[in-house]
Amino acid sequence: MSSQAEATLGLNPRVYQSGLGARLWSFFHNRYVLYGLSVIGFLAIWHWAALHSSIAKFLPTPAEVWTEMVRLSGDRLAGKTLWGHLWASLRRVLIGFAIGLAVGVPLGLFMALNKYVNAVVKPVFDLIKPMPPISWISLSILWFGIGEESKVFIIVVGAFVPALINSYNGIRLVDPALYDAIRMLGGNRRQELLQVTFPAGFPALFAGFQIALSVAWGCVLAAELVGARSGMGYIIILGMKVFNPAMIIGGMVVIALVAGMLSLLLNKVEKVICPWKRELPQ
Amino acid sequence: MKPDQPKIVCQDVSKTFTQRFGKVTIPVLESIDLAVEENEFLVIVGPGQCGKTTLLRIMAGLETPSTGRVSLDGAPVTGPGPDRGLVFQKYMLFPWRTVVGNVEMGPKLRGVPKAERREIAGHYIKLVGLEGFEKAYPHQLSGGMKQRVGIARAYANNPKVMLLDEPFGQLDAQTRYLMEQETVRIWEAEKRTVIFVTNNIDEAIYLGDRIITMEGKLPGRLKSTYQVTLPRPREHMDVEFLELRHQITEETELLL
Repeated sequence: MSSQAEATLGLNPRVYQSGLGARLWSFFHNRYVLYGLSVIGFLAIWHWAALHSSIAKFLPTPAEVWTEMVRLSGDRLAGKTLWGHLWASLRRVLIGFAIGLAVGVPLGLFMALNKYVNAVVKPVFDLIKPMPPISWISLSILWFGIGEESKVFIIVVGAFVPALINSYNGIRLVDPALYDAIRMLGGNRRQELLQVTFPAGFPALFAGFQIALSVAWGCVLAAELVGARSGMGYIIILGMKVFNPAMIIGGMVVIALVAGMLSLLLNKVEKVICPWKRELPQ
Repeated sequence: MKPDQPKIVCQDVSKTFTQRFGKVTIPVLESIDLAVEENEFLVIVGPGQCGKTTLLRIMAGLETPSTGRVSLDGAPVTGPGPDRGLVFQKYMLFPWRTVVGNVEMGPKLRGVPKAERREIAGHYIKLVGLEGFEKAYPHQLSGGMKQRVGIARAYANNPKVMLLDEPFGQLDAQTRYLMEQETVRIWEAEKRTVIFVTNNIDEAIYLGDRIITMEGKLPGRLKSTYQVTLPRPREHMDVEFLELRHQITEETELLL
């Protein structure tokens, strides 16, 4: 290849063949260096905005948020430290998420496998599906009071919808030729279910779990904002009432970290259970 | 069963598909009569949309004929079953199973104990030349390798008849050549009655003991039969090969 062609294709950046230039070039093309720069850049802009922008009065610097988070993890608000409140929210999410899946997945499965079940359930489900789960909050409080049950109920409503949709579609959309393949190999109805229907539906099921999980966090926050003496939503609403934006942002950061880790964990579980699924480009 | 009885027989098989609440009917196959001898390699060749895949699916038992019947060793075919091995154009491997998991699926469904079915799978994986890839998942394999798994999976059930539905249609020309050679090698190692459907005349002559052409428009009918007596392995550039190819190409009417 001619050197001109190489230069055009960017294969041989002559300027940086050796020395300091080359080292800087490869340093700034390292993925992890860029990750670091991205985070530092974001914090720097935030810091600047907290000092000089028009919302500076109610925007603490990153360092102030960190100090506040450290303070909250020792001090008690309504009898609980930050970790106690985090656990209160996490517990609601996990319980609601589990019940939502336990209701949604089998229902979706039966709807996909049996057209009569589908015909009975689908009209009602289609009516409930577009309702934002948060719109159930008022009813939920009237029915179950302001205790745990009403909050878990909202999460269940929110989580079961995506769980059902994905198990229904995941199983309905299995390539029918895979059933031909198992039948030609001698599979009976039960073996079709075990060897094709379930494994083929797994990846879609997990995609539904991810959506359900993120909906669950949205629901728990909303429920706690409306009426609670514990949970991350309580911290956030308290931060507003006492004009402490650092408390609000601290709460938001903790939620983001925990929700992100939970989603990552779910991803890992999926990789163990469905190792065949091709990894999608991130 | 009489010793000289054909292995698989189609008698007056027709198929009409009905669409949209019975308003539209499409005749796909009309009065197909066909008898395939034991261990014969029959190739059915025809252009796209001539009903050849439907004919194969009827023999597989995945479609029921509108008229007529199919019998295997004298017994009527009423549905899909492990006495016929089907190789799909789009491979249709189970993506959640490794190579060995796919190949041993037939014996597994029959309840063959694990050690024994691993041995069967190992034998056929070796036969199709995939040793060392036992633990790979289908998405990690190339198209040619996937179809090797498809062939091994069908063979592992020890079927009486192998049905191959344009098995190399998704492959590039070079891989296709290679897989044709491999098909002959595998078939000579483990003789079976084979019905091979293709749209490729070259492939048909390379593989078949007998070639049946189909008409290029619906409803599909069988047109002519050619006996191929060239010794294997065949040479694509042999004069006789080319003559036969010329002859079949001449009479094949394509719907252009």
